[in-house]
Amino acid sequence: MTDHNSTAPAIAVKDLWQVFGENAKPALRDARGAGDDKAIAQTLKDKGLIPAVRAANFEVKSGELFVIMGLSGSGKSTLIRCISRLIEPTSGSVSIDGEDILQANDKRLIDLRRHKLGMVFQHFGLFPHMTVADNVGFPLKMQGMGKTERRERALEVLELVGLKGREDTYPRNLSGGQRQRVGIARSLAVNPDIWFLDEPFSALDPLIRRQLQDEFLNIQATLKKSIVFITHDIQEALKLADRIAIMKDGEVVQIGTPEEIVLHPVNDYVAEFSKDVPKGRHGCVENVMTKDVPANMPDDPGLKVGMTIETALAKCMALYEPVPVHDANGALVGAVDPADLAAALQAEET
Amino acid sequence: MSIAEEAPVSGRRGLNLSKGAIAALMVLAVTVVCRLLMSDLDLSIEWINELRPFFEWLVSWPDALTVPMTDWVGAVVGGFLNIFKPVARVFSYLLEFPMTWVGGLLSGAPWPLVLGAVTALGWLIGGARMAALAFFGFGFVVISGYWLEGMNTLALVAVSVPLAALLGAGIGILAFEYPKLKGGVNVVLDVMQTMPTFAYLTPLLVLFGFGPVVGLIASAIFAAPPMARNVLLGLERVEPEIREAAVMSGGTRRQQLFLVELPAASQQIMIGFNQCLMAALSMVIIAAVIGGFEDIGWEVLLTMRKALFGPAFLAGSVIVVFAVVIDRMSAALAEPRPAQDKRVALAIFAVGAVIAIWAALAGWNPAGIAALDGVAERVDQGVGQFTANHGTTLDTVKNSAMFYGLLPLRIGLSDAVLPFTWGFAWTTTHTLVFYAIFAALAALIALRGHLAGAGLVLIGAMVLEIGVAQLPWPILLFGVAALGWVASGRELAIQVTVLLGLILISGLWERALLSLYLSGAAVAACALVGGILGFWSAMSDRAWMVVRPICDTLQTIPLFVFLIPVLMFFQIGEFSAFLAICMYAVVPMIRYTRHGLITTPDEMIEAATASGAGRWQTMFEVRAPYAAPTILLGLNQTILYAFAMLVIAALIGTTGLGQSIYLALGQADVGLGVTAGAAMAILALVADRLVQGFAEERRQALGL
Repeated sequence: MTDHNSTAPAIAVKDLWQVFGENAKPALRDARGAGDDKAIAQTLKDKGLIPAVRAANFEVKSGELFVIMGLSGSGKSTLIRCISRLIEPTSGSVSIDGEDILQANDKRLIDLRRHKLGMVFQHFGLFPHMTVADNVGFPLKMQGMGKTERRERALEVLELVGLKGREDTYPRNLSGGQRQRVGIARSLAVNPDIWFLDEPFSALDPLIRRQLQDEFLNIQATLKKSIVFITHDIQEALKLADRIAIMKDGEVVQIGTPEEIVLHPVNDYVAEFSKDVPKGRHGCVENVMTKDVPANMPDDPGLKVGMTIETALAKCMALYEPVPVHDANGALVGAVDPADLAAALQAEET
Repeated sequence: MSIAEEAPVSGRRGLNLSKGAIAALMVLAVTVVCRLLMSDLDLSIEWINELRPFFEWLVSWPDALTVPMTDWVGAVVGGFLNIFKPVARVFSYLLEFPMTWVGGLLSGAPWPLVLGAVTALGWLIGGARMAALAFFGFGFVVISGYWLEGMNTLALVAVSVPLAALLGAGIGILAFEYPKLKGGVNVVLDVMQTMPTFAYLTPLLVLFGFGPVVGLIASAIFAAPPMARNVLLGLERVEPEIREAAVMSGGTRRQQLFLVELPAASQQIMIGFNQCLMAALSMVIIAAVIGGFEDIGWEVLLTMRKALFGPAFLAGSVIVVFAVVIDRMSAALAEPRPAQDKRVALAIFAVGAVIAIWAALAGWNPAGIAALDGVAERVDQGVGQFTANHGTTLDTVKNSAMFYGLLPLRIGLSDAVLPFTWGFAWTTTHTLVFYAIFAALAALIALRGHLAGAGLVLIGAMVLEIGVAQLPWPILLFGVAALGWVASGRELAIQVTVLLGLILISGLWERALLSLYLSGAAVAACALVGGILGFWSAMSDRAWMVVRPICDTLQTIPLFVFLIPVLMFFQIGEFSAFLAICMYAVVPMIRYTRHGLITTPDEMIEAATASGAGRWQTMFEVRAPYAAPTILLGLNQTILYAFAMLVIAALIGTTGLGQSIYLALGQADVGLGVTAGAAMAILALVADRLVQGFAEERRQALGL
């Protein structure tokens, strides 16, 4: 193994560009002189090239569930393919555990994929000519693992995703939800550190989707992988993510925790996404709390740091004066005006 | 045709012509000039008559400018072949081993054993139905009395197919792995497939010497392209996610290819294998023309030459049975199917083996069963009787088609209309009246805004009057360039003109025109009949139930066999050749027309219905325009089929390139064989590019 740096982020993406078209590399190099990222992108477009990912910069911490959200055509699928190096980025760097994988040679790349990376695809990408168990065991076969061990491990992972007993059927005999369970099982077979999921639940029915999301969270709670998860569904992003990156036209426009995205959108585009989201569930009391505590607060409904706005509002429905907020130890940290709570909840509903 | 559809937009100031109209008018101008300069039209206009001697080169290409391409190619290819001859002979020597083994195995094994094995195989592939097909099919071969010949043919196929499959798969994988090679590989495949089969038999004959190996290698070359194409297509169609999943699993390139991509493409590859088998079978049979090795193709050829139609019919039926059994069994491999009980297969095989052993012990040699000789005799008599009784009817059919259809098309109305056939002699007055009528018709069309259509009508009339085989070369070169320009653009126009120009300077021009005339006539007939049948099949399911099995059978039958029935009834001659070509080439037209018409997206039909369109309205307003590119592709296939058959039809009397190729084969004249073959391939290629161009233009117009 190369230099493994435990303090390094699991994934670090720096100034990553993906430009499609003829002679993209020299064109991007030339366009660098144009000024800021927007000007560069415009220059490339004028030449008939497509800047699908523009100057992406972010880090994914170890054990973090990082969601990249955007509409179709926003470049999110291209971005995850750059990070997993399924396609060759035009410029920039992607480090996994401190190792720049864009510099890795083919051998090293194969090695990484056999041991460290796992990926789930939107349309499952199952091999139609293999049984469920063979599909799941495929990455292990690539590692050179023996047949019985492979099957043993495949059954183990299949049990984890709730497909025990279906190991000898073929993908064509499974429902969409079951197929994606196989896809998930396959990506987990080698016990990867980094887990890429490209819109894994988008092709599924809403009910099955929710069920799989919950199971996915359960699996993640025990496995603690570093995850890059792609979706176009804001609800899904908010439900799953530790942090979210919002993409538009190849550009990452905002990175933040779900509540930051919902309560402090950087522009109208992001705000538009969170318009229909019930904010009370994602915002916390701190978001509307003020530090300057009024001298006299008659009521104390027992608000605590970390409480969602929804819960907090329920506790002070009948109150009109500012109320105190305590931290976990009971110390007074600030005050909240119930009117602000209500306002935060309804900010976008007009 | 789409030229006619583009209505020209006439502005107030001057005419604003569409591309099609410009092209049609230009070609018309060239045609008119050429027609005036041709010496057979006496208009008594002094200055034209005086000009004529100076422009003879415009009407027919002067010999002085003809390049002896045939000799050059003969010298170059001959020299080239001589270098490789020793290697080829060694290869040929080596190939004879597997051929003798397989041949010995198949023809030496007692027929109950082979029958049992084939039936067991049928069971494994497709259960009781396939087993029955195999049993009755091979059973028929046994009682036909052509068992030995049949097995010799099968042995050739059995050796050539693995060669072709490996070669084809190799080419396909290579083209997929190195996209830079793809363009080149496609050209090579095109040439391998459009080059008439007889044409490369000649150099192979020189290279490998006389013997069955030539047929073997020719069939391997001929059968490899479909395999290569399907392997490439299958690999390209593997879903990107499956590919990516293999990459993310850490497979090396080779692992990805062999463990994931090729298996995922297996269905397409099996389709390729099926086509490969059929091509090999067809070619092995055709290869009989270079000499007999006691195979079934030779038997057909021999009996046909002796005009023994009964045995020819019987031997032809054996070929058809082989084709059907092999086709259905290998096609079943390409479809998902349930696994069959292996014990049943084993039991079937065992029964065959037991009977074989018993027969051997009893000293019963059943190889000579020829239970159907009586049938053959009766067919012979029946045909004889039929032709005797209905001879006049048949002759009338044949002569009418010749005198009123094919002949005028070939040598022009002015030469074909004779008192003997038409009842009057064609004079200059007739010519003038003829043109006056068409000029009036064209004027009518032009006034309704279809300028291009008017031009086409006039050009058509002039071609009919001059005759395809006598067309001055500038008309054809200009016409083809114009079509290329309208269909795609300048690049295609130049490409097709240069290709045709090669034929012009090679001295094969007249023969090429003859080929063009016959295949053109056949294609036109196929387009009409096939279009109608396809349309009818699209409108009525019941019609399709009748048409479909006929199409299936016609498509399965090797080229060679088509000659038998037409010979039976119409003897040797151009009309028989024409019929044989039509029978073979009509199928794609029917299929594509129907397919195009019925695959209109549901939403489009629903939208049409919701707008209140009736059945016929939907058909003409929605389905037909949507189907146009598909129908054009069908036409393209029909053209290629017609050219392929044209060469085979040379066996029963055609003139032109096909005949040259066939003659070259007889004389082992590499130069003539290769040049004439190349000229044929060029004609096919030009037609292919033009029609594809129009299809592409239509597709883009529809946004597909």
